[in-house]
Amino acid sequence: MNILVVLRMIPDSAGELQLAEDGRAIDREWLDFQLNDFDDHALEEAILLKEAGGAKVMAVAIGEGAKRVLQMAAARGADEVVALQSEEDAMISSREIAASIAAMARARSVDLVLCGVQSSEDVFGQLAPYVGALLDCPHVSGTNRIVANGAMLRVTQERGAGVAVTYELATPAVLGVQTASKAPRYVSGSKLREASKTPIGRATPEPSGFERSAEIITLRLPVQGGSGEILGDNADTVADRLVGILAAKGLARN
Amino acid sequence: MASTLPLWILVVAALVLTSWRARRYAVSLARAPAAARFDQPMRRLEGVMVAIGLHRKMLRKPLSGVLHAIIFVSFFVLFTATIDAFGSRLFPGFSLGVIGGETWIAALQDIFSVLMLVGVGLALYQRYVLRPARFEGSNGKDAAIIYVLIVLIVVSLLLEAAARIEGGADGSWRPVASAVAGLLGRAGISAPAAEEVFYWIHVGAILAFLVYIPGSKHRHMFLAAPNIYFRNLEPRGLAPAVPKQREAPGVDSLGMFDWKQQLDLLSCTECGRCQAVCPAYAAGLPLSPKTLITDMRDALAAPTALPLVGGVIADETLWACTTCRACMEACPVEIEHLPKIIDMRRHLVDEGRVSPGLQDALSNLTRLGNSMGKPSKMRARWTKELGFPVKDAREEPVDVLWFVGDYASYDPRVQEITRKVAELLTAAGVDFGILFDAERNSGNDVRRAGEEGLFETLAQSNIDEINACRFNRIMTTDPHSLNALKNDYRHFGAAFEVLHYTALLAELIADGKLDLHVADGARVTYHDPCYLGRYNGGFDAPRALIRSAGYTLHDMPRCRENSFCCGAGGGRIWQGDDGVTERPSENRIREALSLGDVAYFVVACPKDKVMYTAATDALGATGKLKVVDIAELLVPRASQALDMPAVETT
Ligand code: SF4
Ligand code: SF4
Repeated sequence: MNILVVLRMIPDSAGELQLAEDGRAIDREWLDFQLNDFDDHALEEAILLKEAGGAKVMAVAIGEGAKRVLQMAAARGADEVVALQSEEDAMISSREIAASIAAMARARSVDLVLCGVQSSEDVFGQLAPYVGALLDCPHVSGTNRIVANGAMLRVTQERGAGVAVTYELATPAVLGVQTASKAPRYVSGSKLREASKTPIGRATPEPSGFERSAEIITLRLPVQGGSGEILGDNADTVADRLVGILAAKGLARN
Repeated sequence: MASTLPLWILVVAALVLTSWRARRYAVSLARAPAAARFDQPMRRLEGVMVAIGLHRKMLRKPLSGVLHAIIFVSFFVLFTATIDAFGSRLFPGFSLGVIGGETWIAALQDIFSVLMLVGVGLALYQRYVLRPARFEGSNGKDAAIIYVLIVLIVVSLLLEAAARIEGGADGSWRPVASAVAGLLGRAGISAPAAEEVFYWIHVGAILAFLVYIPGSKHRHMFLAAPNIYFRNLEPRGLAPAVPKQREAPGVDSLGMFDWKQQLDLLSCTECGRCQAVCPAYAAGLPLSPKTLITDMRDALAAPTALPLVGGVIADETLWACTTCRACMEACPVEIEHLPKIIDMRRHLVDEGRVSPGLQDALSNLTRLGNSMGKPSKMRARWTKELGFPVKDAREEPVDVLWFVGDYASYDPRVQEITRKVAELLTAAGVDFGILFDAERNSGNDVRRAGEEGLFETLAQSNIDEINACRFNRIMTTDPHSLNALKNDYRHFGAAFEVLHYTALLAELIADGKLDLHVADGARVTYHDPCYLGRYNGGFDAPRALIRSAGYTLHDMPRCRENSFCCGAGGGRIWQGDDGVTERPSENRIREALSLGDVAYFVVACPKDKVMYTAATDALGATGKLKVVDIAELLVPRASQALDMPAVETT
């Protein structure tokens, strides 16, 4: 089985976000980038499938820091690693990259495309459906377990309230991974160092083929909510002050 | 003599049996990877003299030390009797008589026989009446068998001499045996027959002892001295490198340990001194440094199908260690627990067998160079609230390059102290700078968590940045960084002069460059951080600072080399508290509270401020004891003096 897994680099949420001058994008210049967590799980699922029944895993990374993440993917067991060029200093749009992913999948006769169910730049989880549609093959999103049996896949999908649904589908298929069957493994620094010699392929993007249907006209940073107040650590004084505050807000009688 | 042949047969049989019983160890040691422990013979010998001749570490526990010294000296004196017993019959005509075997040597043997019995009596009293907890997990049967054999050897020796005296030999040099002879006479025992019987009991017991030793902790009679001689002479803070010839970074079978690490296993006396000081053991975690060693020893003696890591030694045992080094400091025969733990952790890390907490921290360190997952750009954030700019050491030369460390840089609970240190340096006119976002975690605990590859990446990055700066000395806030920069970075050929901030501040005060408010002698206690004290000998500078600031130090019972770890080191801070019955930090705060008269618990490590503040909170003791960094006690005269909290003394 040939598996293609998509690894997207997204702005580190612990960093400070600032808007670009035109107010329509995040200023990416001073940001750290990290692998989208769901994509990390997709990678793990790919490696688990490889370990369970044999597969060739190709990891395709997009965005700043792709090289580092591809070395990590190689250290974890990816057989081939490719950096897909993307527009610099721009967010990774699923609409934009879907055609490139589909083209790479077709060119290598990939049986299974795995990506994270969503990313902070695609909270609606559009990548898997887009790629599925372009490849004209089944897609399921929100998986938490994938078992391969020849060309058949058994895919468990998480629904709300602890309900789980299991599908059976034939490859080729596209899956949006919510969580891998096992938590992503740790790769040691010495394995990373070894993997740093892995040759990294390059791929140029395909035109998306979609007309732009809408433009971002403005972006707003999260507004700081009310700030917390520290009441100290002495139980008696804390209780007094709490009663005082509640009374002041009319929530308790003093 | 008619008994020569039988004795020869017995002796040869015993020697063959002994070698056969020791064969496994011998083969294993012979096959073990090399270890470079043959340098500096004089220094090595000196250490053996101090350790054995003066019983230095042994005497830290007075009763044990004294009773062991008595048995030890008696053993040497009575060895003359053994030479006599075997020599005289194996080689007819041999006698110690020419050098005083019947006079002063005889008298010594007589007296030391009694002393030996006194020593064994004390040992029995200690083991069966006092029953110190450190013997828990030791092999009690082994100890009992040895006591019986020693008593048998000594008593038969006395009785043999007594029978000889009763039969008419001169007893003037043997007062004790003479007294016993009188008793024998009254009992009507026939002298020549009794002498012969006691002789054979004596040599029989000695040979039994010899045959028994290879399977017993009493191997240490032969191995303690070599094990101490071949001890590690490298700086204490230098974790052993991964040997070049090793294919994987870690160790997952006993045979991969070099011969010294294996010799350690065979030398353990099961005294439990290491266990008694281990914070992980005290916290109820599944680690005792003693059983760590004896479990591996037993696996060496009787090979098992279990894997070493995750079988003979459980994963949780390895992760429980804080790398505080207290065990190695306590061990009288210089057994090296930590290199073994680190090597086995290296195997776990290589296999990806790490707890989720540790995985998060290591992943953050890989990605961002700090364990908290904060962007590098925020590393120097703490400087913003200073009233003055801090120099960028990458841009301009500085006298002191300050390596700030993760906690001091990022943790909001510690940043306040970091700023205090900056203010003190400025008040003293020190020309200092920092690396801003180019600093990475020093890798000290990464290395000790077994992540050698990541350690190398972090270290190399720091070394490159530091080498690109112009400076005279490096100062660190964090004792862990101090240790890495000073010791571990030698692996990369980096030799920096590195100081802890307590050392630099003490120097500034001694030079009269820092004028401080002087308190009125209020009593405080001080916690020696493992990586400042035990690892790097930084005991005195913090104490000098406390004195200079006008406080009176009331040390806790466990201080200096015997300081008790806060529980955060070696990567423990990144792991959960699962299985912990009492947090080491709380154990320590209780110790401070029991002093009864201190208001401040003074620390000199950013992690300690975090750990101990949490511990005081958890114990509900915030009203009684305040955790302060040593920098908070030092208040330049130009600033407002510190307000000492009142303390209820008990
Ligand atoms: S280093 Fe400290 S925690 Fe680790 S085994 Fe030794 S005494 Fe215990
Ligand atoms: S390792 Fe050392 S301190 Fe621990 S029991 Fe053995 S001899 Fe004693």
